[in-house]
Amino acid sequence: MLDFLFPARNQRYCDGVNRRDALRIGGSGLVGGLTLPRLLEMQATAETAKPARAKSCIMLFLEGGPSHIDMWDLKPDAPAEIRGPYQPISTNVPGTQISNILPHCSKIADKYAIMRTHSHGDGGHQTGRHWVLTGYPPPFADGQATAIPFNELYPSIGSIVSRELGPRGAVPPYIEMPNPLGPGGPGFYGASFAPFTIETDPVQPDFEVRDLNIAKGIDQRRFEFRRRLLAEAEKLGTGERATGRAKTMATYYEKALSLVTSPEAKKAFQIDAESPETRERYGYSSIGQCALLARRLVEAGGRFIGIDHGSWDTHYDNFTAHEKALVPPTDLAFSALVTDLEERGMLDDTLVVMLGEMGRTPKINNDAGRDHWSACQTVLFAGGGTKPGVVIGKSDKTASYPLTTPYGISDLLRTIFSLMGIDSEQIYETPLGRPVPIVNGGKVIDELLV
Amino acid sequence: MALHPPIIWIALLTLISQQYAAATELWVSPADVKILRPEASQQILLFGMAADGRQIDLTRKARYQSLDTEVVVISPTGRIQPIGNGQTSIMIEHGERQLELPVHIAGFAAPPPVSFAHDLVPILSKSGCNSGGCHGKAEGQNGFKLSVFGFDASLDYDALTKEGRGRRVSTAAARESLFLKKAAGQLPHGGGVKMHSGTSWFRLFERWIEEGANFTDDAANAVVAIEVEPREIMIEPEESQQLRVTAIDGAGNRRCVTAEAEYLSNADQIAGASRSGLISVAGVPGEAAILVRYMGQVAVCRLTLPQKTVKFPRPPENNFVDRHVWDKLEGLGITPSEISEDAAFLRRVYLDTIGSLPTPKEAEQFLISDSPAKRAELIQSLLSRDEYAAYWAMRWSDILRVDKDRILPEGAVAITRWLKRQLQENTPFDEFARQIITSQGNTLSEGPAAFYHAHDKAEEMARSISQLFLGIRIECAECHHHPFEKWGQADYYALAGFFSGVSKKPAANGGQKIFVQPGADLPHPRTSEPVLTAGLGAEPAAFEGVRDRREVLAKWVTDVENPFFARAIVNRLWAHYLGRGLFEPIDDQRDTNPATNEPLLEALAQHLIDLKFDIKAFTATLLNSQVYQLSAKPNESNARDEQNFSHATWKALPAEVLLDAISQATDVPEEFNGWPVGYRAIEIWDSQMPSYFFRIFGRPVRATVCECERGNEPSIAQALHLMNSPESVRKIRHRDGRASQLAASSLEPSEIVRKLYLAVLARFPTELEANLMLQAFEESQGNRRQAAEDILWTLLNTKEFVYNH
Repeated sequence: MLDFLFPARNQRYCDGVNRRDALRIGGSGLVGGLTLPRLLEMQATAETAKPARAKSCIMLFLEGGPSHIDMWDLKPDAPAEIRGPYQPISTNVPGTQISNILPHCSKIADKYAIMRTHSHGDGGHQTGRHWVLTGYPPPFADGQATAIPFNELYPSIGSIVSRELGPRGAVPPYIEMPNPLGPGGPGFYGASFAPFTIETDPVQPDFEVRDLNIAKGIDQRRFEFRRRLLAEAEKLGTGERATGRAKTMATYYEKALSLVTSPEAKKAFQIDAESPETRERYGYSSIGQCALLARRLVEAGGRFIGIDHGSWDTHYDNFTAHEKALVPPTDLAFSALVTDLEERGMLDDTLVVMLGEMGRTPKINNDAGRDHWSACQTVLFAGGGTKPGVVIGKSDKTASYPLTTPYGISDLLRTIFSLMGIDSEQIYETPLGRPVPIVNGGKVIDELLV
Repeated sequence: MALHPPIIWIALLTLISQQYAAATELWVSPADVKILRPEASQQILLFGMAADGRQIDLTRKARYQSLDTEVVVISPTGRIQPIGNGQTSIMIEHGERQLELPVHIAGFAAPPPVSFAHDLVPILSKSGCNSGGCHGKAEGQNGFKLSVFGFDASLDYDALTKEGRGRRVSTAAARESLFLKKAAGQLPHGGGVKMHSGTSWFRLFERWIEEGANFTDDAANAVVAIEVEPREIMIEPEESQQLRVTAIDGAGNRRCVTAEAEYLSNADQIAGASRSGLISVAGVPGEAAILVRYMGQVAVCRLTLPQKTVKFPRPPENNFVDRHVWDKLEGLGITPSEISEDAAFLRRVYLDTIGSLPTPKEAEQFLISDSPAKRAELIQSLLSRDEYAAYWAMRWSDILRVDKDRILPEGAVAITRWLKRQLQENTPFDEFARQIITSQGNTLSEGPAAFYHAHDKAEEMARSISQLFLGIRIECAECHHHPFEKWGQADYYALAGFFSGVSKKPAANGGQKIFVQPGADLPHPRTSEPVLTAGLGAEPAAFEGVRDRREVLAKWVTDVENPFFARAIVNRLWAHYLGRGLFEPIDDQRDTNPATNEPLLEALAQHLIDLKFDIKAFTATLLNSQVYQLSAKPNESNARDEQNFSHATWKALPAEVLLDAISQATDVPEEFNGWPVGYRAIEIWDSQMPSYFFRIFGRPVRATVCECERGNEPSIAQALHLMNSPESVRKIRHRDGRASQLAASSLEPSEIVRKLYLAVLARFPTELEANLMLQAFEESQGNRRQAAEDILWTLLNTKEFVYNH
């Protein structure tokens, strides 16, 4: 057991890591302080995790809850008030059918897995999102969280990946766009594992990540000098003693500085370096261009890229919303992303996951809408060691409940972490000493793995 | 052998006096157990005494044995469950000591019938069935809708027995009932397994169905109070405490509801409580309250976790504020920090009071002055400055919903002007509140009437006024009983009745005219009976000879006897200046959310009343206290204290104040699109004005009366913006800006450094800092402007500048 993960009770810091111990381990390689038994100990811990299949994960989060029964899990034999207007169409995988509003995805069904039996018990937006993205039921009632991020205690999946895997290149390990995911924060892990949020939408013609470029007239040398001056001034002033949010700000300054000073990072954010054909291929939509930018960020070493795509909460006029506004850009973006990753030889080690916080009621309501339904949902997986071209699980004849093994949130998260080589049995203590396992319960979904 | 606790106690006390250290007696609560029906249970508590004479919980550390397992069983956690009628005892063993607890079980032959409202609804609550995230939400879940938190038992009864084509409950074959099969997980249930088959809760539902699934009107059996034991404890790290909750009905019958009650901590960082009522503490010294809720009744267990330190020498007191804070800190064993240095106090008091930095000249004057009264004098002068009115008008605009998209730009200007005037003239706060509550007239002429433009319904007005001036959030009670408080729907509509006469009509210039009509009591949404209009917890209001019902409300709100009004405003001000309210959230005042220092809160409220609601005089009291003037530098003993004001906190600057501070430090004013040059950010009344800076630094949109709308979380985007944005670069390099001015002057480099420190951080540099900054002149090889810009950039990016501390 690594003792920096389990510091003595009286030596905790706000992100749960004892800094002295972390330094001792981090720095000991250089000074030869790492003894053989200790090294073996560390390796032994690491072995409980399976070797990584995926180096990075792109998560397309369909916020509001996509309609599984209209997209991936059609029920043509169900009564009209359930089945809706769409027809199943064949895909390029014999026997697998999806909705006629997903023409692009139907042509590449051999590249991804459709899991039709995701199920959990939370029907709220905020609460469901909190659960899906952190693995823990939220400590607040739905609609009661006001701040963003609203996962104050439990770390989000991106922050966990960021902590476990760290950066792989110039860009921050955890990036979200085009706005913050509600529960996308680091929780008790602290600011070091917070996402870098790109708060502008790459579909906008003048898209750029703000304030990333050193101002004209300040050359590299001068910037480096300022940076050093600031570091020294902070040491001499009161900044070193800052607590709370001000201390968090110090961490953000470090992150900001490393972004500004890296040409590779800046290049990764330049979506207009892509050819017009490529951009067209992903579709000039928010989710399309976000998916394309996500691919660039993975190339530059991003570990977890969270894309927030909203407005799936179709209580009214579900069908117009799905077939006109929501599904076409998503269909294009997902298929382009998966195909592009494959062509570039990146799909094997990039995991793509697409899901929402819930599905939608099989029964159509009086406003031609569908309401919240979390008991049966469909999740898509591609690459990163998942089995392509398969359908996992079967729902009942109205897509209301799983008929085969239901897979819960913990199962989903365990699977994602396992594919990324993360030992999700690990436990971290909150600043108050409460042990929080990365994932609580759940099993890896074996039938999904290659 | 039945031992009675008082006897044990006497024996124990005798023992302690003789042999203090070895005294580890045992006593159990309750002293004997009676269970009168098969599905009930009884939690017992086992106490002992620690070496320091403190009562400690041994409930989970003892061995229990039932002498007749045909009659009762007991779990290692001290929960007794009945098996059959009879009398027996439970033997309790801890260390070398033993106790015998007599148990009497009855009711197996002819159990009292199950009451839907009083027995089953609490189980639905505890299991989360009727929570807002599940069947309790407005649209229900999967066609099955319960009243949220079980506030309407008859509605829940209908939902279970009549809706869903009657399949949910089957009296002919209880076990086949859809409800039981789903709850027990025998059929797929989105919410998971809620009651395993065979458990006492399951059996209770089963028996209710077998008895005919009746809804008996048994209001007399309603729970009228709950009691929690213990109510107050001193606890130490690593210890725990089991709670025992007893419900008392109208007839005085008592029963144990420990398993069915719900528990919530008001300070998770100090203590938490499990579903079964077990309190565990982490080790951070401080106080917490565990809220216990059952059937709309609430009770609280308060706990204190003292820190073991040597007693600190008690610092001097400037006024009563210090006395109460030092009292508290003494009790907790936390040593306060030192008094802040002059420079830290100077910057803090400027930013807090007038939302502005001191000018370099003001800073220098204060720092070099050797007047012993200079702090008090500065406080007095700041409170009379124009910026005080501008800054506080902005803060009040935030919570009075001054949103120009809603109340028109002219309306925003009208109310902003009115606010400024009140703050300048220091209108007594009771009068200020009265004017807002009773405002009428054209929303575009100077006055607070635009507040009513921003609100549509009487209910909305009631809850905003309640949150603003009483510090009570009653919006929950619109639809159901407030989950953590005594307020129910009747209280909500009683308060809303004051606003039933508020009417609006369009005014000539596009605004609204607010006027009043007689008004009427509002109907209760469930019974449709009119609810007598009344203040919260007050007698029904009398409206004889009153044209505007709100006059009566204003009188009740601002009365010195009102239990909420003064406390709410003093807590708001305290939170602003000290960085954290005495209760948090600062507008959520309730018995179940106790203040961290109740004597202080009470004294502050009384002080404001004694000052006849003079806000400036009250503020001066706060600012002149030692507590306000403590350093932000923690010591070993108080580093982890976040709620007892043992040191100053690092506060985020509001977006507008930070932007103004940058403009002031660089001596380059911000130009707001469409506004005359020279307008300060704190004077901008347009909360919708597009601004990336305001957005990322958390300016509120003013859609609610909640101060929590203002964001104060740091982000990478903020860091990037401060160090690298074209906007801040422009100000640093501006040809008329501070760096340029100083570079063009004849001042020596060391003097330039000194001026920059004064302008940005409102202090002199230390010798080490001065030497460090002189490197900028070497680096720039004689380019004085480049050096000055580099120093200015550096200082603007220190946390010392970006935060208030």
